[in-house]
Amino acid sequence: MITRHQKTAVTALAGLSLLGVVTGCSTGADASDAASTPAASSKSTSDAAPSTSAPAGSSEYKDGEYKAEGEYTSPGGKETVGVSLTLAGDKVTAVTVTPESTNPNGKKYQGEFADGIAAEVVGKSLNELKVSKVAGSSLTSGGFNDAVDKIKADAGV
Amino acid sequence: MPASSFRFTGIGTTWQIDTGDELPEVVTARVRGRVEEFDRAYSRFRSDSLVASLAAEPGSVDFPPDAVDLFDLYDKLDEISGGAVTPLVGRSLEHLGYDSQYSLTAGQGRIVPSRWTEAVSRSGSRITTTSPTVIDVGAAGKGYLVDLVAEVLVEAGITEFVIDASGDLLTSGEPLRVGLEHPFDPSKAIGVVTIENESLCASGSNRRVWGSGLHHILDGRTGAPTSDIIATWAIAANGLLADGLATALFFVQPERLAEHFEFDWVRMRSSGIAERSRTLRGEVFS
Repeated sequence: MITRHQKTAVTALAGLSLLGVVTGCSTGADASDAASTPAASSKSTSDAAPSTSAPAGSSEYKDGEYKAEGEYTSPGGKETVGVSLTLAGDKVTAVTVTPESTNPNGKKYQGEFADGIAAEVVGKSLNELKVSKVAGSSLTSGGFNDAVDKIKADAGV
Repeated sequence: MPASSFRFTGIGTTWQIDTGDELPEVVTARVRGRVEEFDRAYSRFRSDSLVASLAAEPGSVDFPPDAVDLFDLYDKLDEISGGAVTPLVGRSLEHLGYDSQYSLTAGQGRIVPSRWTEAVSRSGSRITTTSPTVIDVGAAGKGYLVDLVAEVLVEAGITEFVIDASGDLLTSGEPLRVGLEHPFDPSKAIGVVTIENESLCASGSNRRVWGSGLHHILDGRTGAPTSDIIATWAIAANGLLADGLATALFFVQPERLAEHFEFDWVRMRSSGIAERSRTLRGEVFS
């Protein structure tokens, strides 16, 4: 059990070190030198948050709240994410990930990594669907269609 | 089911207005007149339009008052998309053969449009240019005209109607179930949505094709047709917004657009993958 929890704590710290640099001092410290990492790594740290039992042996880290900043590149540009992590007896007791984006798009993007749902499309026959209207681009302008017909005719297609 | 349908041709496409009672002739005449008025101002395909006069020579042109909302949206989309959505794709479209003569013969290379905010100055509905400029309002114009036609109906006291301008819909009254036409097979739908007192606009790159990789949805940053996204649908409060956003979805991440506008969306990639907004009232078949 102890081993497992230690492992959890290590995973959490590893995740954090990917995001930035854990500062050696306690509460309020801010690490500004940040590594460029994908956003998903912040997820793994929050997953690792609730570990409870204390590891044996002497303490590696001083108890307290640690803060770090990470940077990543989103489709909207460079984003910054803040991570706050509380250590007590070498275990993580709390993790908070705070979007610190300065552009409004980033805030939304960080809060909800996938806004949409993506899937491979399967077409269904319109005859089976009880719809009143169909929206698409099949009906195009008359002049355009005439011109395409003319080109086809000229080309003998 | 609608009791009465009024069909007509306007801005080069087929229109249908469904209403409970047959539209009086005075109203259908006003509708036709409104569409004609719009065409006379904004059509790139007629030599007597305001747009054609700016294409021929630079200067100041007073567009109708309705131009303010239209160009306001273009300003916003141009900024958000970094110039991908711009009325200045007009010259690029002409160069690729999509001109007023429908020559459909592409010139060599591409014409990259100037930036909208730099090449054109606007004060309200007055546009001023310093060189011949081809303005194309294809990205949002048809959806906007649907709104303007709806205004005519509402002014005539008609409150329940569906306007269908071949891909751009606006409904007032009962909820409407709409199939999302499969881009590769018009007998099929890739999904179904319900709209109610709002507009659904569809945009697709694979229908209006006149050559290999030549279609009418151009990226204003490059002057070249898009290829990754092949079809989009946007649902918004009005046709102007829905149409403009349907175009913008070809170039801009939906999350980014959602920071500025309230809307739902579906878009399909050339790979056959479709994406949709979480709040979509409907489904995409997968």
